Amino acid sequence: MTPTPEQIAAFADGELSGSEAALVAKAVARSPRLQAEVASHKALRARLVAHFAPLLDEPASPAHLHLLRQEDRVVDLAEVRARRRRWAWVAAPALAASIALAVFLRPAATSRDYAQPDLAGMLDKQLISQQRKGAEERVLLSFLTADGRFCRAFSTPNASGIACRDDSGWKIERAASGGQQYGEYRQAASEADVMQQAQDMAAGPALDAAEETKARANGWRSRD
Amino acid sequence: MPLSDPFATALLDLLPRLRRFAVGLSRDRAEADDLCQATIERALRNRTRWQDGTRLDSWIYRMMRNMWIDEVRARGRRGQTFIADELGSDVGADGGQEASAMLGDVDRALATLPDEQREAVILVMVEGYSYKEAAEIVGCPVGTLNSRLVRGREALLARLGEAT
Repeated sequence: MTPTPEQIAAFADGELSGSEAALVAKAVARSPRLQAEVASHKALRARLVAHFAPLLDEPASPAHLHLLRQEDRVVDLAEVRARRRRWAWVAAPALAASIALAVFLRPAATSRDYAQPDLAGMLDKQLISQQRKGAEERVLLSFLTADGRFCRAFSTPNASGIACRDDSGWKIERAASGGQQYGEYRQAASEADVMQQAQDMAAGPALDAAEETKARANGWRSRD
Repeated sequence: MPLSDPFATALLDLLPRLRRFAVGLSRDRAEADDLCQATIERALRNRTRWQDGTRLDSWIYRMMRNMWIDEVRARGRRGQTFIADELGSDVGADGGQEASAMLGDVDRALATLPDEQREAVILVMVEGYSYKEAAEIVGCPVGTLNSRLVRGREALLARLGEAT
């Protein structure tokens, strides 16, 4: 057989196996020209490796190390680490688009301190685990505050924010108004901010599916 | 510098290789550092998408490679060119005059290759990936990778001389 250039290169790279490797080896053994080709392929590889090798010994860029250390500081404490991982899982899609625009949350207006019936209904009933993907109105996450209140971050076409359950209903703790004017970016940005605020308010990790189910069964009023 | 976060530690271990690949793709140290920075940021942001048990290096190489392709295309649309294209910047080792002249030859020869041939050459011959792994990183069939690789290395051999 006469090996193709691809076969000779692959042979030099040790990429051939079985009968193909044996056939090419046989052809190379008979041909000084093919032997020279194989040798020059190997020499080229060695030259390229040597060319780039010094880069491996250069000290790492301080900027790159800073990024990695920053990441590390966040997870330095076991508790923060546990929380962070779970938040990250929930928050990632929202955060991805958040760079484009910063939206600042304002304290909830006093006249509308409590969630209206539609929103309150969703906050009472909706479990994140059963939420339709991409739903316009949805609960972003649920968590407990240090003083033992259940809170839920939510997003609707008109508003996003955080509401916490008390004796009177779902008290709006943080609100960012409607998302229409800037389209998806606006919504993603306010969701990201809501997530950040939720993280600041939460005493521990976000509730998982089982914890949410239990909280709902207890009317979001008690932990047990 | 041990880090307590295993993912950050794994990235740290990969840094020298990532930078080498970035230099190979961009042929410019400053570009390579920017590309590394952007890749690390994206990897950290998307860490939950990495499947534990799969190869972290391939995952990040693919990410870096795609970011670079996007950048190249964006610049093409903006009508920008690369300084390095014509000059072939020295990315290799410091050293004596003779050594750096020789290294310059390799850089110039690599600069003449079409992007798709260069990335095939870099992935297999510098980064040491198998054809299959390299094809997965690039996102093309193994046969395509193989033929790009052969065309690229033949061009390099012709330019650098048979007596490499």
